[in-house]
Amino acid sequence: MELWLSMKKNQVDIPAFKRDYITMLNEDSKRRNPGIKRILPQALLWIAAAALVITLCPRIAAAQETAAFFKQNCASCHTIGGGRLTGPDLKDVTKRQDRAWLRDFIMNPQAKINAGDPYAVKLHEEARGVLMPSIPGMTAEKADFLLDLVEAESALPESQFKGLQISNEPFTPEDIQRGIALFTGHQRLKNGGPACISCHTIPGLGGLGGGQLGPDLTRVYERLQGRTARQCMALSPRHADHAVHSCAMPPLDPAEIHALVALFEDTAKNGRILPNVAVLNFSLLGLGGAVLVLVLFDLIWRARFRSVRRNLVQDNQLRGLP
Amino acid sequence: MNVRSQVSMVFHLDKCIGCHTCSLACKNIWTDRKGTEYMWWNNVETKPGTGYPALWEDQEKFRGGWEKKNGHIRLRSTGKARIVTNIFHNPHMPSMDDYYEPWTYDYQHLFNAPEGPDQPTAIPVSMVTGEYLNIESGPNWDDDLSGSPVYAENDPNLEGLSEEQRQQLFAIEQLVFFYFPRICNHCLNPACVASCPSGALYKRGEDGIVLLDQKRCRAWRSCVSACPYKKVFYNWFTGKSEKCILCYPRVETGQAPACFHSCVGRIRYLGVLLYDADRIEEVSNLPMEEMIEGQRSLILDPFDPHVIEEARKNGIHDSVIQSAQNSPVYKFVKVWRLALPPHIEYRTMPMLFYVPPLAPVMSTRQNEVLNSVSKDLFHDIDDARVPLKFLANLFGGGQEGKVVYALRKQKAVRWYRRALTVGDVDRETAERMLREADCTAEEAEMIYQLTSLCTFEQRFVIPPMYREEAIEAMRDPLEAKQGAGFGFLSGPRRGL
Repeated sequence: MELWLSMKKNQVDIPAFKRDYITMLNEDSKRRNPGIKRILPQALLWIAAAALVITLCPRIAAAQETAAFFKQNCASCHTIGGGRLTGPDLKDVTKRQDRAWLRDFIMNPQAKINAGDPYAVKLHEEARGVLMPSIPGMTAEKADFLLDLVEAESALPESQFKGLQISNEPFTPEDIQRGIALFTGHQRLKNGGPACISCHTIPGLGGLGGGQLGPDLTRVYERLQGRTARQCMALSPRHADHAVHSCAMPPLDPAEIHALVALFEDTAKNGRILPNVAVLNFSLLGLGGAVLVLVLFDLIWRARFRSVRRNLVQDNQLRGLP
Repeated sequence: MNVRSQVSMVFHLDKCIGCHTCSLACKNIWTDRKGTEYMWWNNVETKPGTGYPALWEDQEKFRGGWEKKNGHIRLRSTGKARIVTNIFHNPHMPSMDDYYEPWTYDYQHLFNAPEGPDQPTAIPVSMVTGEYLNIESGPNWDDDLSGSPVYAENDPNLEGLSEEQRQQLFAIEQLVFFYFPRICNHCLNPACVASCPSGALYKRGEDGIVLLDQKRCRAWRSCVSACPYKKVFYNWFTGKSEKCILCYPRVETGQAPACFHSCVGRIRYLGVLLYDADRIEEVSNLPMEEMIEGQRSLILDPFDPHVIEEARKNGIHDSVIQSAQNSPVYKFVKVWRLALPPHIEYRTMPMLFYVPPLAPVMSTRQNEVLNSVSKDLFHDIDDARVPLKFLANLFGGGQEGKVVYALRKQKAVRWYRRALTVGDVDRETAERMLREADCTAEEAEMIYQLTSLCTFEQRFVIPPMYREEAIEAMRDPLEAKQGAGFGFLSGPRRGL
């Protein structure tokens, strides 16, 4: 600018060679700073690309997130193509019901049932009265993503949410023995964690029976309708009850699940009898031990300080004096 | 020299008639609350007897006081290791039965009883359980009951007496006993204070009264077993221990403690002693024979200018020093050497002293003729009905010398006054006896005056306590000025 001004002001005085030099300088600067018109199309292209990335990214991320979300919130009750758990199998659910209905149901199952919607009431009955919880933070958008996921997974021959399946082969006695060993803790669980017996009871296993914290597992096989995926899920640490009561319970190995289901099946079929003698023996042992300890204490501290006055009186009575 | 003042006491056993007025005065003021029914901060025992609680003097059983081990004194009841191993159970404590189960009477039964062949009675009811009870003992169960094979014959002070002496002591129609009123001794080296794991017990700096902080007490009951005189009690209702407070609210306002004030026989004296706190440890470690002299040497002469100067340095007010100069306790303990500490062998150095009692001469009356066993007019000292050994066990740490000295001087004063007032004994004999008893005529007059004619003011020389100054020494009285509104303020509550 200064150069330009000074050029204008002193136009007359500037010698020719200098004018040439200034012209040359101006030309040079024009070449190095191309005009906005020339870069605009290129910039627009880039901006569009960036916008595309920005808008698409969450969609890709959302797809992954939805899978994780499903695993965390839905998979404990639903499979996709793996049969019924507490909730129905979701394979091809979008074909059975229209999307808007499903979306509404996901967002607030209670409202649908309360409204007396016949399909919702039927689902509720099928789940034996277990109400599907409304997931906190559930939005219409999220519900849509979930339905997308279910649709996509239904189309696959084998969904990742099929759940663990137990073969229909009959269990071998070795399987049952291994199940007993795992249940009673004689064999460590592969991924660590307490043995089943610390919280559950199957009469006849472990002498005195197991813990009382978890439910009695004698009839678990019948309760959970045989060798279903439900059975397997109940054994998985992600099962709601396990998640609540033994937070630190690591996942069971599929082979361990196999052995334990074998045990449950065997228990259901053949039954187990509580050996009463062991309990009696233990009680007697405890009682005897307690008495022994008391006698021992009394012997060790037999010279301990007792009543003073009463002893005086008693000693006197022993001497036969009034 | 570290001069401190202590409100100390003398009980003149020769004057005690065993009326229990002191006990009742104390009971009515302090221990008529729930949980304290069984406590008698002041009680009167008949000696020989096992006392209250039963056999309290038997430290093999109760493990009270200090014992000397490896040249240094230790608490008998507890120690650093013992307190851990016995953290859930302190075995050496008197049970409720060793005191007695307190009772009242179901007076309604006098009116409600169904008609029957007998007069209805007021049935005893336990004050602890509220149920009818069969009374088995009481706080003075062996009162006036010398010769009882259960109680009197088991007195621990009979140790060292020959079988013949015992038989003589308990022979029918020759029974002898005297009374032994007891309160907290407010010791110089208190075992209860030393034993408390919570630091709830303390000896007040300005007057030496041993107190138990009811807020700090955590019911360890170490003090109950550590006190060899069993004068700390556990309140089963509040879950805190309690003890004689020497009626400090009364003493601070210039009144004698309730038991002192109410004493019918005027046996009690109260006054200040100045003592050297620096030498307490040294004296409590002395061999047994030297302990009585040692404790006397702790008590300082309030007329000594050096002592006065040191006392002033320690902030003892001139009026307190003056009070110490007038103290009857100082005269009995240090000047006349008549008063002796009970059971100095426990090494707690009690600051309650006893003038040992003279026993009357045994005599029988037959047809207006009085036959005396002894030709002596008063107490036979060497051939006394209460054996010297017994008194020595009680007041002399097992040594008879100090007890003999005190008895001889008392007897000499009696003879001297008999010669003066009645005139049926030889004046010269009386004066010879005074000389033999290390006593002058003037001293005898003073002893007579303070024993027989003493006024209220002479018996109780209560120092001004300057409680406000004692408090100021510990905390700034302005520290809480205008401070209300923050922190916690517990309102005043009645009683302890």
